[in-house]
Parts: sequence; structure tokens; C-alpha cells
Amino acid sequence: MSESVNPTIGGNPLEGIEFPHEHETDAVVIGAGPNGLIAAMYLAAAGLDVVVLERRYEIGGGLATEEVLFPGHYVNTHASYHFMTDYMPALQDFDLGGRGLRFHKPSIQLRGRINGDDVLLCRALEDSRDSMARSSLRDAETFGAMATRFRKVVDGVLGPATYLPPGAPLDLMEALDRDAVGQDMLQMSEQSAAEILQEYPLPDSVLATLLYSSCQWGISPQESGMGFMVPLMVDRGLQKAFSYGGSHRLASSFARVILEHGGLILDSAEVEAIEMDGSRAAGVRLADGRRIHARKAVLSSLDPQSTFLRLLPEEATPKELRTQAEHWTWDKWSLLSVFFAVRGKPELRNADGNLSGDAFSTVLGFEDFDDVVQFLDAIEGGEIPKFAGHFTCESAFDPALSQVDGQHTCFFQMPAPYDFDWDGRQADVIEEVTSLLDSQFEGFRESVIDVAVENPRDIERRIPCMVRGSIKHGDYNPVQMGNMRPNTDCSSTRTPIAGLYVCGASTYPGGMVLGGPGYIGARAVCEDIEQPFPASYTNSMQRYVDTYFPEGLPA
Amino acid sequence: MTTDAGAVAVRSAVDGEVLAKRSEYDFVIVGGGPNGLTAAAYLAKWGFSVCLLEARPELGGGAENVEPWAGFSVDPHASYFYGAAAPALEQLELGRFGLRASPVTNFGGCVSPDGRGFFGAGNFFHEARARDPETLVNLLGVTRDVAKIFLEFMGALEPCMTDFFRSIYWTPPYDERWGFSPSDLPWANVLREALPFFDDVMLEWSLCEMMDNMGLPDPFKAGLLVGSWGNGPHPFHKGMAIPGFAVQQLMFYSNCTPVGGMHALAHSIIRCGLAHGVRMFVNAPVTEVLVEDGEAVGVRVDDATALEEKTIRARMGVILNTHVKQLPRLVSHNHLSQDFVQRVEDLSLKGGSLFVANLAVSELPQYAAADQEYAGAEYPVGMLLHSTTDQMLELMRDVHSFRTHPTDPDHYQLWVINHSAHDPTRAPAGYGVLDINLQVPAPEDHKDGPDAVNNAKDEIVENIYDVIHQYAPNMTRDKFIKTWVNTPRDSEFRNMAFVGGNWEGMRVSEDEWFSRKPLPELARYRTPVEGLYLCHQTSYPGGLCLLAVPYNLMHILEEDYDEIGSTTPEWWYRSKWHVSDAEGGTR
Repeated sequence: MSESVNPTIGGNPLEGIEFPHEHETDAVVIGAGPNGLIAAMYLAAAGLDVVVLERRYEIGGGLATEEVLFPGHYVNTHASYHFMTDYMPALQDFDLGGRGLRFHKPSIQLRGRINGDDVLLCRALEDSRDSMARSSLRDAETFGAMATRFRKVVDGVLGPATYLPPGAPLDLMEALDRDAVGQDMLQMSEQSAAEILQEYPLPDSVLATLLYSSCQWGISPQESGMGFMVPLMVDRGLQKAFSYGGSHRLASSFARVILEHGGLILDSAEVEAIEMDGSRAAGVRLADGRRIHARKAVLSSLDPQSTFLRLLPEEATPKELRTQAEHWTWDKWSLLSVFFAVRGKPELRNADGNLSGDAFSTVLGFEDFDDVVQFLDAIEGGEIPKFAGHFTCESAFDPALSQVDGQHTCFFQMPAPYDFDWDGRQADVIEEVTSLLDSQFEGFRESVIDVAVENPRDIERRIPCMVRGSIKHGDYNPVQMGNMRPNTDCSSTRTPIAGLYVCGASTYPGGMVLGGPGYIGARAVCEDIEQPFPASYTNSMQRYVDTYFPEGLPA
Repeated sequence: MTTDAGAVAVRSAVDGEVLAKRSEYDFVIVGGGPNGLTAAAYLAKWGFSVCLLEARPELGGGAENVEPWAGFSVDPHASYFYGAAAPALEQLELGRFGLRASPVTNFGGCVSPDGRGFFGAGNFFHEARARDPETLVNLLGVTRDVAKIFLEFMGALEPCMTDFFRSIYWTPPYDERWGFSPSDLPWANVLREALPFFDDVMLEWSLCEMMDNMGLPDPFKAGLLVGSWGNGPHPFHKGMAIPGFAVQQLMFYSNCTPVGGMHALAHSIIRCGLAHGVRMFVNAPVTEVLVEDGEAVGVRVDDATALEEKTIRARMGVILNTHVKQLPRLVSHNHLSQDFVQRVEDLSLKGGSLFVANLAVSELPQYAAADQEYAGAEYPVGMLLHSTTDQMLELMRDVHSFRTHPTDPDHYQLWVINHSAHDPTRAPAGYGVLDINLQVPAPEDHKDGPDAVNNAKDEIVENIYDVIHQYAPNMTRDKFIKTWVNTPRDSEFRNMAFVGGNWEGMRVSEDEWFSRKPLPELARYRTPVEGLYLCHQTSYPGGLCLLAVPYNLMHILEEDYDEIGSTTPEWWYRSKWHVSDAEGGTR
């Protein structure tokens, strides 16, 4: 190879050796969040040339672990744990452990501290039952029956169906009707979250904790048709796993697989337009003018308005898609997170010795079941009736998050409306949250070294496709779920535009780092270009298909 | 070469290969800064199995970015990439892995308190020459003769700028035992050929003498001297005129600002390494280098890491991408002599510890004092404020002689670096981020103890606001929205390789340069332990993310390992000035 002369005078010193202005590949993936990365990982493993494009300076999207508490304190600014690790095919299909990924499920998953009463909900059902049995053996039995019922529905239906394209409602009803678990699933789907939980004669503190857990990410407690979120969030919510070193490690391990299979990842690379070749999506143009041509597929993991209204040329987009995107509704509420660096691990005040132990997450600030309902209703209405939510001391479980001996990182998080004077009221917000935590944890106020607030506007500033702080890229309600997410034409990840796929949180099954849309999208691309998909169904997916679709999934 | 005998094989459904619980590699690299990452990429591309272990939660070392407030990306450390002339860019095809430069050529300028200033490292000389010496006469306030001499000098040097840079930075230092003289230095040969008026006496000058001999006045002179002090040799070190001058020229001719910030440079190297099969792990601090029969055979990582294997063996070698002062902490003193350990301990940390203030601003500074005539349309990336030699001397006296941080705002010589003017990814539209660098003492050297600068953070930031306001009247207090500070103390706490928070690793001095950097027996990257190499900015030629240490190291590994030396890949080329041990006479 000849030595080129890099230095130039009055020009770009990387001229000729930087990333080219035109590049051609098989598949372009827009957005390097969990779904974009998962899609790219499977496509790269299938043998395709893949380029992943990320607007931010760091990949991961909601898988972000950052040093916002300087110096040496790391926090997960979005997802702090993962509740589908038992089902996510990507974790089974690739040796992510060999790429530095290690998950751990804490034993005590959730502590509900409701009006002075503590309840412990644990990874092992027996431990949860022990906690209930303190007040009543019958409560323990009731909880056990409920948890077992929820587990069956998750294991038989919700878990595996997360990674298969959504069927039409009638097909699905017919299929699930084949067995008792499916029928139960159908029944719960008709109900509201509050209805399902209130069927159980459990202590109010237990029900309040479960209702908060089921609805905190954006479900209206009394809205019918969203009941299936209860078994999912209760069962999976007690199987939360964190990845050592923070959620970003999950993104890093995906990226390693992509690169090892010859894929490319560009960050600080905002896509400005999807480019068409006739009626086919054929590539993208970046904000700096670079073009990446896609021979086979363009996958967008962005929200529907970004994909269909901003990136696609208007003339290339069917009018109905544009209309549907215009009517897309954002999350009912967003999140407020307040991160703290503290001296010493926060210890609960007035802890019942029988219920000692560090819970991964502690729900606090609520009086009872009705209070949770009213609180969420108020938040949905744009009010902040009070500061109540959940608290986690992450570094108590993952020492890598605090690099300072004896100091910890922790956060308080709660549902929060987007429309609020967040910047003007920041000091008040910190004071309210600090007071709440100080009332529950010994000497909390004095232990605080540093505070950082991430409010709904910050969420949108860091990740603009979380419009109005929509961490799920769009509301969970009966008309934006299932095969209507983002609309009936696109919920399989395929779109009416040839070569274009949508595989982000706004596509079935949704957000929360399920990894479903990315997996389903990669499968769709492989099927369409007749490239063998590099993995078979997981055991649970196969069992689901065998049970409910013995003649195969409807096309 | 890359089989895993004895390892437990795990078949992955998709990967289509047998992945192993690997605990043995050809090379183990300790540290994931730019030099460690580059060494890993070189070795993996050469065909070897490589494991890289990083103690911190992120790879990249000093090439890092942080987004402390939503939408604002700041540089806690390095903010310019001076290595556009690095062979690694093309050898490792970093562009292919995403590296891009912001479209900017106006890298900086200087302003002195009398309001004289000039813009334009980068295209400045090009434009100046294209016009006529008059440009320099007006701009720098020099005589026509001085302008002519300077333009002649630069005109002669420019055509061989790549050779000039590579002869200094991208060439392994010679072995002290060869008994060469200064006139044998690689860059002496390049300059002798390029400059008709070159004289060996130049090799004995300090940078200050060189500037004076050329007749260059402030603020230009001060700009060059301060730049050298901050990025390389102390301007008064005898014999360091050429290396000091070269640092400046790197800034003019080999400089770029990666789109997205310096971490984007790290990303391109990381991705190159991963694509070639490097296994990289973070949160994996190495506690010990394992030595058997005098040979480095692997490392032990801290028990708290998430790695399954806590002992990782290296079949060929272990490469330390960490500060030379960590070497005696990682290797049992059974294998190191007492005087070696003491000499490492004695290495000076003076002269490279920077106080960094990253400021989110609601508008960009408009430098009213500076000469606007040559500013052109392009906003300068960096500005040196208080650009006079006297003020530099006062600051230098504060930091090195009185061993304290400056308290008089007149001593605040600030680099004000502003990538957000050219890189829209760095700040929301309508806002900017300024990275301010100010020399302060190393924590260990501060007369009031290691926390003195941290305790004075607020006061120093106030002075920084005032100095910026003095030169840019639009920058009233309300334009500074947020401030985020990284002190040398913070740096060394966050990164064990930033001992003393020194950006250069250690003092860049005449006594520890080239064949004596960091110590004569370490200059060729070898250490007293066979199979253990030092590949860090404390090795020659030092810091600045030049990707030079690992390039130079590869020359030495070619000599030490037949497997490497006998399989020269098509993409590899050596430095023209490389002298092997055999040629130099130590074999």
C-alpha cells in the first residue's frame, strides 16, 4: 500500500479517508436503540451487509448508562432493568455472555410501602408468600393462586407472542380459545387492570403495589381492554433483571455481534430522509448530506410521525399512512427521574425486622389502592397531585455504577406529565422528592452529595423520537396495541412501501425493551428477500405456535 | 494461532461458530484508551486473538464525551484530534468504521489584552501566503523581513509536512545505547533536506529561542508557546524547539474535530477492533500481571468483575495501556529492580494538568477585541485568551514554581474551545458548549494539598466567566446556563491512567524524551519483564490521541515475535526512519 499524504492545507484533513459520502449496503437500520440493534444483529448474522445509523453520539437509545452524577457515579437514564430476559430470543440465540453481558435477578424485587405497611414481592413465589403469611395464611394462598394464574398466561401466551407477528383479532380469539390458558388470556384482555386485581381478596397494600406496578408505565387503571398488562407486569415485574455495568451493556453486546458479523454502526449520524427508488425505499440521506443506499431493506425504529411524516417523501407515502401517523397519540404520561449520589446505602426507616433486605425497587408515597388510581388519573389529566413513585438504589446491586467507595447511586422515578414548568420548578421538584425519600430512608437528606433531574422534556431532548417524553413511542391503549400498533398495515413490521419496515417501540408488541419489534422485523426482511433466518423459534415460541396455531401462523 | 485448546466450548445457535468461554488469547491488553484500542485493532487485524480489559465503565480513555445535560455533549478531556497524519487512519481504515471530520479548518487563534488577535490555525498560513507577506505584517505586527523569513520557512516545510510529523511522532524512538547524536534524529534528517537554511544548532534551541530567533511577537508567539506547554514540551526546555514547534504544526495541519466529539474517534477504533475479533470488556480492572519464569503470561482481573474467568492468559504478550507509574503496582517486585521502581516513582507529573470547565451557553462569544479582517466566515474552534508571553510566564510561575492555581484573573490563560459552532450534534440549536482549559498544578504537587483546586472550583469558574466576558462583551453572566467542571483531581480519580490528572501522562521534558521516554529501558516499549510492553501516552511520543504509540509498538513486536515479523500484511507499512535493534547495534 502506498503512503498517502493526509495533512492538507485549508481543507479537511481526513479527506479521502473518512467515512465516504456515498455508501451501499444491503440493509439500513435507522436508530440504534434496542430494537434497531436487535434487527441489525439478526440481519448481520443472516449474512447481510448492515449499517445502523444513530442520531446520538452514543448507541443504545433507552439502553443508556451515563455519568450524569459527576464524577464516578453512573446511572441508567432510561431502562434500568429488563423483565423479558427469560423470553427474549436474542439472549438465547447469541453468546452475549461472551461479549461481556451478565444479568442478575435480585431476590427481593419489589417492596411496597403503602401507608406504613410493607409488603415484599420476590423473584421466588415462596418468598412473596412468606411475606403475605405474616398477616394471613389465606392471603399467602390467594397471592400464590394469582401469581400462578398470571405465570401460566405469560408463559403460554404473552411471553412467546411478544416475538411473533400479531394476528388479526378474530384469528387470535379463535386460536386462543383452544385451551384454558388462552381463554383466560382473552378474558383478562377485556377487563381493566383495576378490575382484575380487585377480584383478589388481598390486603390493600398488596393490591396498591400491584396496581402501581401494572400501570406505572402508562396504563389507565380503569381502562377496559388493557387488562393483559396485569399478568405481564406482575409476573415479569417480579422477574426483573439488571445487567452488570448498566443497561448500556446490553446495547454494547448487541453492537459487538453486529460488528463481528461485518455490520457497521455510525453514531452522530442523523437520518434526514428516506430515499426512494421509484416506489421502493432504497436508502437514506443523512443530515450532513451523506447517502447510504440500501439494496434490500430500510428499517426504521423511530416513531410513526418521524418515519411517515418527516423522513418519507410525501408523494411516496400513502395518504392513509400519513393520516394515521398524524392521529398517533403519544404516551399518556412520561417519567420524572431524580438521580442521587449519596453517602452510604439508603436504609429504610421503621423497617419491620421480618421484612428486612434490600428490595430492588421500593414503591412509596401512596396511601392505598384508590390513591394509586386517583394519582394516575390526575397525572393523565396533566396534574401532579403529589410526589409518589418508586425508588431504587442501583449501586447496592451493581457495584460498577458507583466508582466511589462507600457512595451510592439511586433514583426516584414516577409517572409525570409532559406539560409542566419543569425547568422553572426544578428546585421545588428536588425538594419534594428529597423530602419524600427522607421520610422513608434514614438520614437521606444529609447523605445527598449530588442530584440530577431527568424530566419529560429532558427525555425528549436526549431522544427526540420519544416525543413528549413518550418512552414507549406512543400510548398503550386498545386502539394502539396488538395489530393496530402502529396501524393495521404496519403492525407486522412490513409497510405498504416496498423495502420499508418499521421495527421500533411504536410497532407491535411495543416498548419497554421487549426486543419484539426488532426481532419480528428482521424475520420479515429475511422472509421477503428469501434469506434464511439465522435462528429457529425459541422453545416457548414453538410451543405457542404448536398449541394455538397447529396449522401454522396465518400469513 | 487462535484455537482455544482446553476451553469450554459453547455452541451458539446463530453465530455459526464455536464460541468459547475464552480465557486464553494471543495478546491481552490492559486499558482501553486510544492507544490500547489501537494496539488491539492492529494485532487483531494482523490475525491474532486479542482480549482488551478496561477498568472503567466506558472504553475510550481520554477520548470521551459526556452528556451531563440533555442535548449538550461535552469533552471532559481531549477535544481535538491531532492525528490526521497517523498511519493508523488508513491502515485500520477508521473512516470505514465511521470516523468523520467536522467541516472546519479554522482551528483557533489568539487574542492579547490589547485587543490584537488573529484567527485561523489551519487555513491561516495558506491564506496568508496566497495574499502576500503584507498579511502577516498587518496581522502579527512584524516587520516585512520577519514575515518573509517565516513564510519561507513554512513554505519549505509544508510540502514535507507528513514526513516531518511522521519522523517525530510515528517512528519508534532509538535505543539510548546506540550512541547516536542529535543530528542523527529522524526529524533532523527531514529538516536538513527540506530547509536550505537548517542548522544543527536549531536542535539545541528551546521553543522560546526559536520564536525569538525568528522574530515572532505576541500574541502569535504566546499562542505557540502556550500551545506547546499545554500539549507538549515546556517552551523553555532546551533541545525541544523542534518537538515544541511540531506540536503547533499538528494543530495547523494534522488537526480535525471528529463529528460527535472525541469519543467518536474511540468508537471508530473500537469498532475496527471488534470487527476483527477483539474481545473487549469494561468494568474489568486488572489487579496483577502474571509473570512466570520472568515472562508475562497473563493477567488477573478483580473478583468483582462480571467476567466468568478471572485469570486471563496471554500466549504471546501482555500490553499495558496504562500510566508508567502503574507498572510497579501491577507487576510483582520480584521482577523489578529497586532502582527501576524508584526511577519510575521519581518521574515528574508537572506541566499537563488541566482544569476543564464545560459551559453550556445560550449564545457564542463574539470576540470584539480580535481582528475581524481575516476571520472570514468561519468561526474559530479555539481561542487563546490573554495571549501574551508575560502572562504565560506568570501562569507558569504560579503552577510550577509557586505550585498553586492562579488567583489573579490576569494570569488566566484560557483555551476556549467551541466545537458546537461547527458540529450540530454537540448542542441544541441556538445553544453552544464551550470547553475551557486552564493549566493548574498536579494534585500531588499543589502546595495546599491534592484537593485545593477542587475546593476552589467555584472561584475559578467565576474568574473564567470574567475573562471570557472581557474579550467577548456579549457573554454576560446570564449567557452561561450551566457549568460542568473536570479537575485534574477528578481525572485521576475517574481514570487510573491519568496520574496527576496530567493530560500528557508525565512531564514532557528534554531529559525524558525520545530514547529516554519515559525511561531509557522503556523507550522501545519493552519493559524489564519479557513479553510485557508499555503502550501508553507516557511512552514516546506522548499524548494527544495521535495513535502513534501503538503504531510504533508494532515495529518492536515485529522484531520480538517471529509470528508477527514473518507475516507482514498487505496494509502495513513501517516508518521510513525505523531502525531495528540489529541495525542499531543492540542485537
